[in-house]
Amino acid sequence: MNVVRLVKKAKRGSKDALMELIMAEKDAMYRLAFTYMGNEHDAMDVLEEMIVRLYENIGQLKKEEAFYSWSKTILVNLCKTTLRKQKKVVLIDNWQSSKEEEQMPSTDSNVQQLEISEMLSILNEHQKEAIQMKYFLDMDYQTIAELTNVPLGTVKSRIFQGLRKMKDYDGGECDERDRRTIE
Amino acid sequence: MKEIEERLNEEKQRMASMTAPADFKNRLRSALDATPARKHKRRKPYVLMAAVSVLCFMLVSYNYNAVAFYGKKIFGFEEIMTGTMKDLNDKGMGQIIDKKTTLSDGTELTIDGIMTDANQLVMYYTLSNPQGVGDLWGDVFNPDKITGFFTNARAGGGMAKVNDSGTEIKGTTYFDPVSPFSKKLTLHFWQGVKNVERSITFPYDPNKAMQTQIKQSINEAVKVDQGKVTFKTITATPTSTVIEGKMNVDNFDRIHFGFEGVKLIANGNSVDNLGSGVSGSKFDLRFDGLPQELYSLELAFSEFVGYQKLAELIPLSDDTHHDLEGKDLWIKRVVTTERGVEITIETDDNLLLDDVSIQNGDKVTPLKTTINQRLEKKVDRFTSERTMVFDTNSMPDNLLIEGIHYVKKYNQKIEIPVE
Repeated sequence: MNVVRLVKKAKRGSKDALMELIMAEKDAMYRLAFTYMGNEHDAMDVLEEMIVRLYENIGQLKKEEAFYSWSKTILVNLCKTTLRKQKKVVLIDNWQSSKEEEQMPSTDSNVQQLEISEMLSILNEHQKEAIQMKYFLDMDYQTIAELTNVPLGTVKSRIFQGLRKMKDYDGGECDERDRRTIE
Repeated sequence: MKEIEERLNEEKQRMASMTAPADFKNRLRSALDATPARKHKRRKPYVLMAAVSVLCFMLVSYNYNAVAFYGKKIFGFEEIMTGTMKDLNDKGMGQIIDKKTTLSDGTELTIDGIMTDANQLVMYYTLSNPQGVGDLWGDVFNPDKITGFFTNARAGGGMAKVNDSGTEIKGTTYFDPVSPFSKKLTLHFWQGVKNVERSITFPYDPNKAMQTQIKQSINEAVKVDQGKVTFKTITATPTSTVIEGKMNVDNFDRIHFGFEGVKLIANGNSVDNLGSGVSGSKFDLRFDGLPQELYSLELAFSEFVGYQKLAELIPLSDDTHHDLEGKDLWIKRVVTTERGVEITIETDDNLLLDDVSIQNGDKVTPLKTTINQRLEKKVDRFTSERTMVFDTNSMPDNLLIEGIHYVKKYNQKIEIPVE
């Protein structure tokens, strides 16, 4: 697949070319949206909005080869805007509902899922985002920096601080923490 | 305790096995096809209205808090006010602020007024732009929090309405309560596609906060299948009634039902539910203001999440219906793919199977994961279709289900004495 050629076609208004570009990365796009939104329904809504934005704004994309980094950045921003509208409680709820997908019996994996979402909930939004991208989506520091629009050093520091916080939490007292007030 | 990295790694494996849903292409294609050829950036007004009403629905289902005051009536918000708010506004319980600022895209933001009490702060605002604000609404203005002396009040939900020409939005946002020691409040909000943070400060007169009507403890617990729910206090103000409590329920979040089945009954009538919040083991339920003349008050704990232990052995074949203690289970398809055995099932939305495995002769394979969950709207209910994935290649004979999480009728009542 020639990305540059397809992007040029999409710039001239070809919806087919844009669809082809997205379909080639559909799983990665879906996982990224799901990580933020926590369930299929919201993830798909944001993806729909994303493709409309891409189509409307692809004329502004200067470097054709940067299409995926550009489109994922737009996707991340849309997810954040949507979440901000839904507010904090939804963030927590959705983590819980995504957990519904795993009913692994007779193992401690449910507990595990819960522990992960609970541990992530003690992080601030930036740390959580960086840790999810690095560890769940297997992205490198540079990609995370591009998608979240912050310097490389900031990404590293967020991941480091986030991990440290999770480790402290894991070892310490944790039952009475109010998730809403921890920054 | 496993190492953090190991647990993160397991989550990564789970994410890696997740694929885009089957209707991915169709949905994106239809969204794209519905987009007019470029340069027609504005969306159609009916799309706008739909978007706003969906948003209202999402937002309304959370946080309402309030403090009240005497002041002037705030005009222009009739259509987006709930009944109680409208009554209070008619009585002049609002504080007029009328402070304006211009946002980065030229849209004018006006903080028209606020209403406060011990449960919440309600802000009324207007966005106007002759070029049109409608299709950019969420991007233009996102209230985040209000700060002040001893005050850090987070925004909860809100409602907004776009006018017919798409040039003006009238909206309300609900915040946590503000401190009576604050004389000045600062609204922090995000604006623009890039989410730039801005703020605007306005004077506040705490003497105009509305008085709390009832604040007392309840301290009653209800035992449920997998734990206990304790209702601790009730705080009623003119704008809202907040019930706070703690719970320790293992399967609370296994279904989406939450506290929908817990109602507040005043003088025999149900009080409108304004939403609920759960934070760790604490929760709060928010209802509309209570009637002025109050004779009786009770909490009806009608329905809540329940758990039923089962030992069902279901023979597997396509397109069959099964009865799980009176609940429907449809097995739609059983296939083997490169992921393993995939069984697509459909149940009521709020029914979750627990401890699932498949059996082939003596061999039992536990569930690995569930994918492609999708809600379907049926005539009288929502159902959920999803595909369970089992890590084996041999076609199973039976499906084993050890339990279900579901919405259970508890039908308990807690009376709250009123003086």
